Amino acid sequence: MKAQVARIMDLSRTPPLTESVPQPAASIVGLSKRFGQTSVLENISFDVAEGEALVLLGASGSGKTTILRIIAGLEQPYTGKIMLHGKDVTELPPRERGIGVIFQSYALFPKMTVEKNIGYGLRIRRRRRKEIKNTVNELLSLVQLEEHRKKYPSQLSGGQQQRVAIARTLAYNPEVLLFDEPFGALDAQTRVHLRREIRALLRKVNVPAIFITHDQEEALELGDRIAVINVGHIEQIGTPREVYNNPASEYVATFLGAANILEGTVTGGHVVVGNAQMPARLLNDRFQEGQAVKLIFRPEDVLVSKNQEFPTGHACLSGGVVEEISFVGAYERLRIRLEASSGGCDTSDTPFYLTTETPERSNAKPVIATRPKPESNAFRLRTGDRVFLGLSSFTVLPNDVRTSATSHSVITTSKQ
Amino acid sequence: MRHVRGFDVVRPLSIWMLIFMMMPLVFLPLASIFIFGTSSGLGNFWAALNAPEAIFALKLSMVTSFWATTFNVLFGLFAAYVLSRYNFLGRNALIVTISLPTAIPTAVAGFALLLLWGPYGTLGRLLRPQGIQVMFTAGAIVLANIFVTFPLAFGVIKPVFDTMSRSLEEASATIGATRWQTFWHVTLPSLRGAIVSGALLTFARAVGEFGSTILVSGNLAGRTQTAPLYIFAKFNEGQIEAANAIAIVLALFSFLIFSVLFFARDWLDVD
Repeated sequence: MKAQVARIMDLSRTPPLTESVPQPAASIVGLSKRFGQTSVLENISFDVAEGEALVLLGASGSGKTTILRIIAGLEQPYTGKIMLHGKDVTELPPRERGIGVIFQSYALFPKMTVEKNIGYGLRIRRRRRKEIKNTVNELLSLVQLEEHRKKYPSQLSGGQQQRVAIARTLAYNPEVLLFDEPFGALDAQTRVHLRREIRALLRKVNVPAIFITHDQEEALELGDRIAVINVGHIEQIGTPREVYNNPASEYVATFLGAANILEGTVTGGHVVVGNAQMPARLLNDRFQEGQAVKLIFRPEDVLVSKNQEFPTGHACLSGGVVEEISFVGAYERLRIRLEASSGGCDTSDTPFYLTTETPERSNAKPVIATRPKPESNAFRLRTGDRVFLGLSSFTVLPNDVRTSATSHSVITTSKQ
Repeated sequence: MRHVRGFDVVRPLSIWMLIFMMMPLVFLPLASIFIFGTSSGLGNFWAALNAPEAIFALKLSMVTSFWATTFNVLFGLFAAYVLSRYNFLGRNALIVTISLPTAIPTAVAGFALLLLWGPYGTLGRLLRPQGIQVMFTAGAIVLANIFVTFPLAFGVIKPVFDTMSRSLEEASATIGATRWQTFWHVTLPSLRGAIVSGALLTFARAVGEFGSTILVSGNLAGRTQTAPLYIFAKFNEGQIEAANAIAIVLALFSFLIFSVLFFARDWLDVD
């Protein structure tokens, strides 16, 4: 088994993570696409490194599937080009690109057995019978389907079908693997199990992969990097940690997990959020006096306290009143209305303090906080309790009409 | 009173009524062929069947139907591929035109062919000086069969094409197959069931074709007389046993084809 895996690994191209700057396995340069007058993709560019898994994350209709189909050659771009290991393949038909596509429906050939499906790529390349047999055997053991080799796709479970689909593409050493909503057709439990399996498999075979998904949890777990796509352009591209912790736009912040968004302005070197102020030393000079900004933070970054004492690294935001407590299984979710009258934070040592001006705005918007079980058990809360909110990390973004990744005037002030 | 002590009366009543209604319409006419054909002994039946003209008529029917079926299945495949893959102006008009021959009376179809290919027809007039005669030959019978069974194979194959997932062909293309390889290895196997049932339908219909054949063939015994024409001719001559022997064969034959169609559906479409 080990030897067989090793053989398949041999087939993959250059080893990953070389010291010199490696040539990307795939480069997508300035891609755009129009259907008639409607522009569905604008200036999409990204690289996929050797052995890397990149996730294109976006809502349905964001254009992510179109990107995948253009890379596969199933659709033509309006402008831009596709490079695979330095070779321009934009003009090539799908069959000459050497790309492995795992379709959402798996698209296994229904009249072929598992082994015929896997060997298809080699049969049409007119490889020798013995070579085909060996490769198919290796792949069958790699995806652990040896005992199902004579079965037809309709006799397999969804997860097994998916493994056949992957093995079928690995058979001809694809330059890159494209996964179109790979877990869309599966139930929640199988999904989680399978994506771990696929992640492990990809590490083993070391083929670069591009995933398409609308599921943020899936994206965070599968991707070495995530590209968030919104209405035809890339909002942000980065590691799961970067994209989640330092969202470049409000869209990214809200699409990946929950986010609290408070509106504020830059006033006198401070960001004034309602009646909370953030000292200017946290701000970059990209923000101008009077500029409208948004303060963005995640529910799990909110620390709830009875007094104003927070561990170091936390900034006191404001006082507030607990409006609603809901139990969501793994954690407790609180809805807290910010209230200036309930008392502000000390101004002495913390970056935030309350001002008395314009309390209406902050009162209008409740903040969502989540607490893990140990914390909610140690410090029980009831509706109506007065509390103080601290933030362990937050992001400030310009409050444009259209906040997009193209404006790089984004700074993050995570203080962890 | 629907139920008598928990016994549903309507059920057996309606089943028997259905059978009773079908009796004089279908069962008895079919049965009488067999009753009459075997009434004077199996020996006579066998002799009638072995008459040279009878054998020729059966053979001619099979051969002409075979060629008509081959053509119409290939054409139906091609037409279904084009009409379900590409959208173009006049596509619907083409679909209607292909389906039209089923609605045209077969005698009209035969007559139309005569007007085109006959000795004084639009094309026949030009071919006659070259010594080419189309009408009143086996070729004419094939032409007539093609015309009347034109949409049958197409009609079975096209819906399968329409519902076939494009992603199978796209997958094949990304794996590295040419269009032809994709068609041969992926598309065609999925059409197997539709092709077989389309062919059986076409063949069954062609073997029984009478109206157009009698016009275009000339009905020459031993030369252009198909099995249905043979039945008609022998009946006119008063040779009821001769006609009956062939009638039995044709009836059994269509019975066989429809059994295959009915019972083999699942087998043909097995995934």
